[in-house]
Amino acid sequence: MAEAFVLDRASILERLGGDEDIYAMMVEMYLDDVDNNCVALGAAFDSGNASTLQREAHTIKGLLATFSDSEGAKNAMQIEHMARDGKIADLGDAVADLQHRLREVAAVLGGG
Amino acid sequence: MHNVLIIDDSDINLTLIKALVLKLGDCNPVLFANPLAGLEWCRENEPDLVIVDYMMPDMDGLKFIGAFRALHGRNEIPILMITANDQKDIRYDALLGGANDFLTKPIDRIEFSARARNMLSLRTGQKFLADRAEHLAALVDERTAEIREREKELIFRISRAAEFRDPETGAHIQRMAHYSQVIALGLDLSPQQQKLILEAAPMHDVGKIGIPDYILLKPGKLTPEEFEVMKGHSKIGYELLKNSHSEVIRAGAEVAISHHEKFDGTGYPYGLKGQQIPLFGRIVAVADVFDALTSERPYKRAWPLEDACRFLEDGRGKHFDSLCVEAFLAGWEHVLGIRQRFRDEEVPLI
Repeated sequence: MAEAFVLDRASILERLGGDEDIYAMMVEMYLDDVDNNCVALGAAFDSGNASTLQREAHTIKGLLATFSDSEGAKNAMQIEHMARDGKIADLGDAVADLQHRLREVAAVLGGG
Repeated sequence: MHNVLIIDDSDINLTLIKALVLKLGDCNPVLFANPLAGLEWCRENEPDLVIVDYMMPDMDGLKFIGAFRALHGRNEIPILMITANDQKDIRYDALLGGANDFLTKPIDRIEFSARARNMLSLRTGQKFLADRAEHLAALVDERTAEIREREKELIFRISRAAEFRDPETGAHIQRMAHYSQVIALGLDLSPQQQKLILEAAPMHDVGKIGIPDYILLKPGKLTPEEFEVMKGHSKIGYELLKNSHSEVIRAGAEVAISHHEKFDGTGYPYGLKGQQIPLFGRIVAVADVFDALTSERPYKRAWPLEDACRFLEDGRGKHFDSLCVEAFLAGWEHVLGIRQRFRDEEVPLI
């Protein structure tokens, strides 16, 4: 069971040089894009195209890392590496977990 | 204002990097989500810094860097590549492929600012050096042109100094030099060679400086002995001008030594024949004789133009190179213009 996402606003802001405006803008964009990101990840897995899945997982890895979600970023990286090695057949659960994680982060960010 | 090109297929990253670039100050961010579109922009525009993501559809960051570096004049523009922490191999490949530095995700503003500022400083230094090199090149061109002008003027004045000891005039120098150019044009010589003979021909008689006045200024016919001394002006001119660092003066030496040679080998100082006579000497022989014949002097009247032309034609293959005579006559309109432009009473500089 993955650890629940805990928003570490201070560490994110520190990385952004304390800029609240940039932080707010990024949260807004994340919330706007989260559904698209989930759909794109699922479609990449369903297509069976390993390189597309690798790229989508890579994008999500960066996205989650931006919000200091190291647990979610680690899961995305595992999918990315498996896809890079062409081993995508057994990634169904991992992809579903990652989609869930994206929405969980969105819920916390939206509530925060 | 620095143009900062940002290429990332993720909107959130584009927005974040744009915001960070604007915080740097004096920067104009240019955004592309598609690397191919970014590359197209680079064909017409010159960024001061490129920030490019590694993993993108259509073209990854490594391929983008390779294509960007291959564009003309884009081999020194700084590139920052964005990679994940676990992509060490890709960072090595990017360094070899032309990236200057890296940013790791998630992007940290302090690190971003420091690296971006370093790259922009590098770019400012590059531009300063390029501007300076361009400025110096322009300065060298300007100074070289001044020196060439001065050289041209000096040659003209030295040539006139020789002519002043002689019944010839400054206008004669100008006319025969321009006639020589007309012949060079008719012979299809390059524009550089045409210019060279125009500037070198005035030196043809500079050796007269070394001829004693009693011979040079003698009103009557020269004795055979006196004529032998007079013929020495060819060699004196050559000695004065030879081995110069200046191409024009070296050409002047060639003209001085060879303009009294005749095509059939009866000229002086060496009795050279046909093609043995340097081309510039064959050209100047026609130009000099024609002007001497058609100019009025204290001791003679000017020949009518038709008579002078006939003299040239009669001298083909004997005194003159036929091709040079033909080239001169083919440029007759120019010849008439030159006669009009440089009259004996007026001596403009070239």
